[in-house]
Amino acid sequence: MTVTASAPAGARPGAGRRRGASRTTPGSAAEQLMPRWLTRSVAGVLVVVSVIPVLYMIVLSFTPNQNVALGTIGLAQLTISNYTSMWSAAPLAAGLVHTLLIAGASALLSVTFGLLAAYPLTRFKFRGRAPFMTVLIGVQTVPGTTLVLPLFAVLSWIQTTLSTQFIGTYWAIIVTYMTFGVPLSTWLLVAYLRTIPRDLEEAALVDGCTRLGALRRIVLPITVPALVVAFVFAFLVGWNDVLFASVFTNSSTQTLAIVVQRFANNSAASLPVYGELMSAAVVSSAPVVFLYLAFQRYLVNGLSAGSLTGV
Amino acid sequence: MAMKTDVPAPSDPEPALRNDGRRGGKRPVSGHDRGSLLARFVRGQRNRPLWMLLPTGIAITVIVIVPVIITVVLSLLNLNVSTLREWLGAPFTGFKNFVNAFTQPNILGVSLVRSIEISFVFSILTTLVTTPIGILAAFSVHRRFRGSGVVRAIYLIPYVIPTFVTALVARIAFANGTGFVDQILGDLHIANRNFYWLIGPHAFWAMQITEIWATWPFIYLLALAGLQAIPKEHYEAAALDGATMGQRLRHIVLPELGGVLKLGMLLSTLFHFGNFTLAFVMFSSPPPPSVEVLPINAYFNAFSSFDFGIASAIAVVTMVILIVPAYIYIRATRISEGG
Repeated sequence: MTVTASAPAGARPGAGRRRGASRTTPGSAAEQLMPRWLTRSVAGVLVVVSVIPVLYMIVLSFTPNQNVALGTIGLAQLTISNYTSMWSAAPLAAGLVHTLLIAGASALLSVTFGLLAAYPLTRFKFRGRAPFMTVLIGVQTVPGTTLVLPLFAVLSWIQTTLSTQFIGTYWAIIVTYMTFGVPLSTWLLVAYLRTIPRDLEEAALVDGCTRLGALRRIVLPITVPALVVAFVFAFLVGWNDVLFASVFTNSSTQTLAIVVQRFANNSAASLPVYGELMSAAVVSSAPVVFLYLAFQRYLVNGLSAGSLTGV
Repeated sequence: MAMKTDVPAPSDPEPALRNDGRRGGKRPVSGHDRGSLLARFVRGQRNRPLWMLLPTGIAITVIVIVPVIITVVLSLLNLNVSTLREWLGAPFTGFKNFVNAFTQPNILGVSLVRSIEISFVFSILTTLVTTPIGILAAFSVHRRFRGSGVVRAIYLIPYVIPTFVTALVARIAFANGTGFVDQILGDLHIANRNFYWLIGPHAFWAMQITEIWATWPFIYLLALAGLQAIPKEHYEAAALDGATMGQRLRHIVLPELGGVLKLGMLLSTLFHFGNFTLAFVMFSSPPPPSVEVLPINAYFNAFSSFDFGIASAIAVVTMVILIVPAYIYIRATRISEGG
């Protein structure tokens, strides 16, 4: 039993959940692993430790900048003004738009590439299939810093050779996010397609459907949930990244993460605007937390596939 | 690994398709009739559209594999701001970049050896601390109880908050005198209110604590998935035999979890080793020397002092360090995936 082997069961719609639930039904004391008092105290401590920094962030996001700077935080001065003033203090709205465009486009391309590759990888036996899968896993172990240097060198060489601007454009950053998005979504979709029975497709093939027709009419509709999951995970790669965006974007394409990070560094130099910074932090993390919690059933698969990149 | 053994039986499609596919996949023994070969190829592609692999294959080659090779090439060249744009014509210097990286401190005064040390301590310590926390967390919600869904969701929050946000909250929480860490430690008279978490040697521990807070749910998720995969019958059989809780743990749970946990600890160590964002965002730029993990060292060599050759040498050293764990990971994944 390993991480990835457990994944397909969780990725199957419906079936995985039902089975998971039946395995953990309460009542059988036989499954109890710790005394009840220990279970309760572990859960209690971990919940408190997990929640306190988050609550701290939320409280600070409603606290005026000078109170945060002086460390005088109390429920008395709470105000919502950070959430209205932060948009003019830093180009957050532009950053948000750039992130949506960049992460969205790279996720869309990654999922398209991933679906195209995952179909033959799960349906046919061919020379080179095993090496292809090995490379797919292997590239996920390449650290981000190892990619950022050569990509920068190549892109600046292309710029000089063609005398055009490339670093700083949407395309440069979209392509770099695909370094993670493509292997990630291919891997997720391979795990999913493997669990889909082939009877339906084969019936369609017997009826004279082409392979592509079967893919489009039969496989695609039942793969929608997995496509959504792959899209979300590939999208979050772009949303969370700082390393690549700090190198490959400029002021007209910078992502939300970069805007927030620069905001923090600039405000450290002058008057700290940490209240506004925390409201920006809340806005940057709320959609992500929501998406992950909505897709938490697929987390194990997605994380084990994407956790190596260090992004 | 032999390819035939690890490929799942290809659906047993109707024999005609299968034969055709086989022929399409085989290399021509003699290339005397190209016309029919092309026709066969087209027919083969209609039934087995292997061209669909091309976008991913090309993308991975162009944006991952080629760049990795280029990193190795760059590490052997004498590069600076002016030669970077025409790096193809830059002078070859052999292993001089590696020698310089190991012997000279970078502009922040940190040598490569020191960075390797910091990265090792940081990643291994994080894994060692987060593993027992993650296992206990998984045990605590393994059996459902009223509110266990909420607890499971809360457990995930530290992990799913973007790293750059965690880093910014940590920057304020550890701020000298005004952050809640100093205030609480000061109020409890455990430490001085002016502990200076974010500069000097304490910075490493601030980063370490933050990383542990943010990443323990990774082990928790894997351990929980492993627990859920243990068949109920095993517990029932143990109960019939009158096994105690301790025996249950030792003979059923730990053997089954072992594989998942080993892979999880390996993955987690690799992941912490590559964490650039936390150190980059949590501290003012440039970060204090005590938090200069390998990715930070490479980054500042490349984009602050524009020593691309040395930065690439550091990247190559990072890859060499990661080769063994990466190989173990690839093998483990291949086996489970083909099994």
